[in-house]
Amino acid sequence: MSYIIASDLNQALQILRDSKGQARVIAGATDLFLQTLPAELVDLAGLYETTQLEETGGLLSIGSAVTHASAARSLLIRSQAAALAEACAMIGSPQVRNIGTIGGNVANAAPAADAAVALVALGAKAVITDIAGQTRVEAVEELYAGYNRSTIDSSSEIIGRLLFKSCAAGEGSAFMRFAPRRALALPLVNAAARVRVSGRRIEAVRLVAAPVKPAPTRLFETEALLQEVIPGPEIWPKVEEAAAEVEVRGSMLRCSEQYRRHLVGTLAGRVLKEAYQRACAAEGGET
Amino acid sequence: MKKQTINFELNGELVEVHTEPSGSLLHLLRGQLGLLGTKEGCGEGECGACTVLLDSQPVNACLIPAAKIEGKQVQTIESLSKGDTIHFLQESFVEKGAVQCGFCTPGMVMSAYALLKANQDPTPVEVKEAISGNLCRCSGYKQIEEAVLDAAEKIDQGSRED
Repeated sequence: MSYIIASDLNQALQILRDSKGQARVIAGATDLFLQTLPAELVDLAGLYETTQLEETGGLLSIGSAVTHASAARSLLIRSQAAALAEACAMIGSPQVRNIGTIGGNVANAAPAADAAVALVALGAKAVITDIAGQTRVEAVEELYAGYNRSTIDSSSEIIGRLLFKSCAAGEGSAFMRFAPRRALALPLVNAAARVRVSGRRIEAVRLVAAPVKPAPTRLFETEALLQEVIPGPEIWPKVEEAAAEVEVRGSMLRCSEQYRRHLVGTLAGRVLKEAYQRACAAEGGET
Repeated sequence: MKKQTINFELNGELVEVHTEPSGSLLHLLRGQLGLLGTKEGCGEGECGACTVLLDSQPVNACLIPAAKIEGKQVQTIESLSKGDTIHFLQESFVEKGAVQCGFCTPGMVMSAYALLKANQDPTPVEVKEAISGNLCRCSGYKQIEEAVLDAAEKIDQGSRED
């Protein structure tokens, strides 16, 4: 029966080990706090290891307890991973963003969590350490066991950080959402894209939309339309049409299936176009 | 959960409380410490009525487990006035008619206070962003925005600064 603020990751893992499955890790806890809290909690929010943001050799490393507010403000993320900065700036409210964390956004496993959607588009992988001392690296989209259920067991595993290649010359990313209000509203649909160009030709593209499945979902067929293409004005309506073919669920509370498909199409087109334009602008070091 | 001892800085003074660690900061402030200025609206992070500053950043006190504030600075609406003298930001709220029913006001003022601490010359858009986590069910947002800009103006004229 306790709430412990861990002093480092090793201590946090030791507490989990000692509690034999009773204790759970939390960070911002903005979602968890509204449910019944487990009796034993290990708070990771203030750890040095989980709050670092750095780029080494073209690889961005984002500590799991970096808050949405810090990520949205970070010049590094804004310049090297614009989609993530944009997603983090739209989560909840300023108050929630000051407490909620990127790792929590992933581990909470909500199907259309803004930061997670951007992370999947960017190709992020989570570095997860368990109480046996084993570390595994897994793509963010592989961490969903179902709607609002993560494959991560918070009584024995900790996301230390998230890793992905920063957007270099010729690369761009973008995130957009459609919600009833600009603050304190969950998105009806959100989408993110990452594009790499060479001489305005698209060499690589990742497009993600949500909520489509339990995890942020790549729209491979839509991506394929743009592969090795120099996009002209005629391509974007086709992209929107293809993206709107995706199967989605309607929701009594939010919007119908048809409206959601329409939004997926429209946002997919816009987010791809924006990421493409940014990639072109970033080609050859231009900004 | 068993009660724990928590040490933190509340409105500039070190305090030690013995409390339920997974209770909310909001209930600690209102229930145990008798600071009733911070309001409970929705109790689930949607309205901002319970906004306080945690290490100078606005947060929803209803979403913070009490144990999380160990070693941190908490600032509530009570810290702004000095005796009978209200803060110049609060004066601006009064002067601009930014208080209707008043329930959202303490939270609004704390969000605005945090903004002016970080940015003494905010644009109207920056003011709107800063209070975007605070709902005013009377919908008096325009006057609230004017009040915050008015307070920034006072800072600009050098008459006020803290």
